[in-house]
Amino acid sequence: MTRYIIRRGLQSIVLVFITTLIAFSIYQIAPGGPLQFLDDDPTSSSVDKVRLERLYGLDRAVPIQYAAWLTGEDWMPQTEAWRSGQCLNNPAKCSRGIVRLDFGRSFSFKGESVIGLIAERIPATFTLGFASLVLSMAVGIPLGIIAAYTRGRWPDNTIRAVTVLINTVPDWWLGLLLLIILGGYLGVVPLGGMYTIGDGSIPDRLHHLALPAVIGATGGWIGISRILRFEILDVLSLDYVRTARAKGLSRWGVVTRHVLRNALMPFVTGLGGIFLIFLSGSLLLELVFSWPGMGRLFITAVNARDYPLMMALFVISSFLGIMGLLFVDILYSFVDPRVRYGRRA
Amino acid sequence: MFSGPTSRRMTLVGVLLIFTLAVAACGSPATAPTAADEGAAGEAPAAAPEATAAPAEEATPADEDASNQVVQESSASQGRVAAGETVTSDEDVTTPRDPALQGGEYRSVATSDFVNFHPYLTTDTASSAARAQVYANGLLRLDENTLEYIPNMAESYSISDDGLTFTFKLRQGMQWSDGEPITAQDFKWTFDQANNPDNGFPYRSQLDFITSYEALDDYTLEVKIDEVYAPALGQISGLITPLPKHVWENLDWSDPETNPEINNPTVTSGPYTLQEWKREQYAIYAASDSYWYKGRPNISQQIDEIVPDQDIAYQKLKSGESDTGTITPENLEEARNLDNVTVYEWWPAAASWSYIGLNMRDGYPTSDVHVRRGINYAIDKELLTDEVMLGQAKRLCSVFPETSWAYTPDVECYPYDPAKAIAEFEMAGYTYDEASNTMLTPAGEPLTLRLFFGPNTSQTRELIAVTVQDFLRQIGVDAEIQALEWASFLEALDAAEPEWDMFVGGWRATIEPHIMYTIWAEDSIPDLNSVAYINKDVEALFDEAGKSYDTEFRKEKYAEIQQIISDEAPYVFLFFQKAWSGQNNRVQGIQPTPLGIGWNFEDWYIRADAGQ
Repeated sequence: MTRYIIRRGLQSIVLVFITTLIAFSIYQIAPGGPLQFLDDDPTSSSVDKVRLERLYGLDRAVPIQYAAWLTGEDWMPQTEAWRSGQCLNNPAKCSRGIVRLDFGRSFSFKGESVIGLIAERIPATFTLGFASLVLSMAVGIPLGIIAAYTRGRWPDNTIRAVTVLINTVPDWWLGLLLLIILGGYLGVVPLGGMYTIGDGSIPDRLHHLALPAVIGATGGWIGISRILRFEILDVLSLDYVRTARAKGLSRWGVVTRHVLRNALMPFVTGLGGIFLIFLSGSLLLELVFSWPGMGRLFITAVNARDYPLMMALFVISSFLGIMGLLFVDILYSFVDPRVRYGRRA
Repeated sequence: MFSGPTSRRMTLVGVLLIFTLAVAACGSPATAPTAADEGAAGEAPAAAPEATAAPAEEATPADEDASNQVVQESSASQGRVAAGETVTSDEDVTTPRDPALQGGEYRSVATSDFVNFHPYLTTDTASSAARAQVYANGLLRLDENTLEYIPNMAESYSISDDGLTFTFKLRQGMQWSDGEPITAQDFKWTFDQANNPDNGFPYRSQLDFITSYEALDDYTLEVKIDEVYAPALGQISGLITPLPKHVWENLDWSDPETNPEINNPTVTSGPYTLQEWKREQYAIYAASDSYWYKGRPNISQQIDEIVPDQDIAYQKLKSGESDTGTITPENLEEARNLDNVTVYEWWPAAASWSYIGLNMRDGYPTSDVHVRRGINYAIDKELLTDEVMLGQAKRLCSVFPETSWAYTPDVECYPYDPAKAIAEFEMAGYTYDEASNTMLTPAGEPLTLRLFFGPNTSQTRELIAVTVQDFLRQIGVDAEIQALEWASFLEALDAAEPEWDMFVGGWRATIEPHIMYTIWAEDSIPDLNSVAYINKDVEALFDEAGKSYDTEFRKEKYAEIQQIISDEAPYVFLFFQKAWSGQNNRVQGIQPTPLGIGWNFEDWYIRADAGQ
């Protein structure tokens, strides 16, 4: 299994680099650029744009820019075609490339280290993502079980109808509506933010977290309850369940010891993906709730065509994706002892 | 806290009082021409008895129209900049503000966070606002009523007879927050850094007109230019925000990783000092005791919170959680009726205006002047202004909005007249088929024009596009609307062979009319001059006007320019916008002027009976 994980890991890393090449090219081809803001500004001249392109190395051929991003520019020939103006002026400002874990400096944040900007945002996004995930499972799993056991009757129908209804409404819109009603008119929840400025105690943070976490969780309800309902119904129809009941086990005992364990297995597979979605941050929810997370950073990066920042976010989310899938594979083998890797004979 | 310099300043104020009174009577308070400076033509008057601050600047206009009137009159009666003249400040800047008004906390919200405090790296408005809290700027500043430049950090300035040398005397006693004096060396050093091409100042070309920038001694700056340039005085006095040389010269100019002053300035000159900044969350500022202009500002602490969603920002204003908040045009009426909020409204001197750009390139239907005039007559701009802007804008007739001193009312405004519109199209060889309500091209095809726009959050551009489409339909012209994401829109505008005939555009006017030259210059095609307007006469007139300090002469030139451009109709001018801001009633001392409300922020105060 260790060998399997290593092999999968290496494959995935190669895959990440191929995707970065594609992402880098797409970002460059997309209309606009980091210096477009100078175009429609009557107080600037084209001389400024040319000078800044040189300084940031945007005037170099795209493959060279990619090579510099990947492997750094400090080893490149000391010519304008290969190095950015910054790097030629001051060797300390040469990028060292992503292979040496240098994600570079942000354009839109004017030289701020990209990795620092992302690190600043991670706690906020993870807090909200984790809380949403817990809430979506805490509600979704019971809903799925209830729906399965009351199949075709009103609780099942109600659960299905309501979750579909919630899912058809965009979460940011629901969030905005509830925030204006509960926060603006009734004053029971704060109007966004992570904590009260100057407070920041645990109860205060939980108070701020409650509504965005619930709204973030709603997206998971339908998926979790539907998958679980389907799986439970599937397992319930199996012979061993009937046997267990026939042997005199209580209904609840059958559910917890036989049905859930088996029904949860395929569910865990999907969890990796769900986990990732929650961790990468919801762009619009973060906007509505003034939540200082990665989603907002991504919007800033895209709007400003901040290539280093966009690429770093891209690499990190790809990396998280791979980790999520590996995690699922490992978890899977624990849930189902029949699953073993690398023993193909 | 100002014990040292106060006595000197008071004498100066006394010296200048006589002139203030005389000039105040003419309606122009602060720019009193005197001869207190060296190299000036006149002689210094005898010392007058102790004086208090001149009250002339209290004259707040009763309404917006009156304020425009004031602007126009004063600029007409008094030249703005004159070669061979010295202007010295008569303003008392050392008497501290009333202690009874001091204290309290002001909470505001912004939809986007600033990047950092560096004056020569950032380009966003949020960063300029944050910077203004901690760094004092402006050798001169605009008078909020007359819109003339008056001494600010410089106590006097003089212009040589040839109009090419500007000498500024800095006020003595201005201090950095660490107690070091603010000197001409700080200005000079900052200029040198900004002017270094390797230092990445995005607008470095704005400094190109300056040929030398020297500190003659600690309190004298001499700036030279090589030809008369009308905006020179304003630009010289505003472009350099001095940074503390004694702190910064040992640090990297532009690297926030090694220069902590960029993100967390500790030695500052502004009305406030930074207490804490959490990116994308909030920034907290505390009043600075060492601020040069009348000392400590009234409001002791400011908390600026980042609230990206404007509806939530408005809720914060409504609930009193914040003292200010975004008010969209749709919310304006409700906001005016809120019990706890006052909405301040003004017509800004630098107004934003909207237009339809018409493609002047050969081969496009709009390259024909009659077609362009026809389109102008076909659109009811009054109705459009009302429908799109809900009354929060005024009809625009010319390149310069009414609030600009360069505006002339003597231009063809193209009133709504469908019959005239059809007549103009017929002059261009088109035929109007009344039965089918179709405009036929000379080739006999129905005319279709392509109208592009880039959507914005408040939907105004979209509304403009569909309204224009409606009006054109009434004279049988089909407008095909295309909405593009902003970056794609700009790219489509600047394409070598554009796929549009018309686009919805907007500019923010500048107080200095010369800056708008670039949007009509052939050199700016296609970036700023997207419609490809080419008229050498207009360029020559802009050149002439830009090479004179004589306001009357410049007004004549700008009037001519406006007439030519109106006649050739490269744009359909639509409207210019009003500005407004909602503030909680507990915040007092706010006076809207053509410069807005922020100009006297340090004098705002929190009403004593208001709860926190």
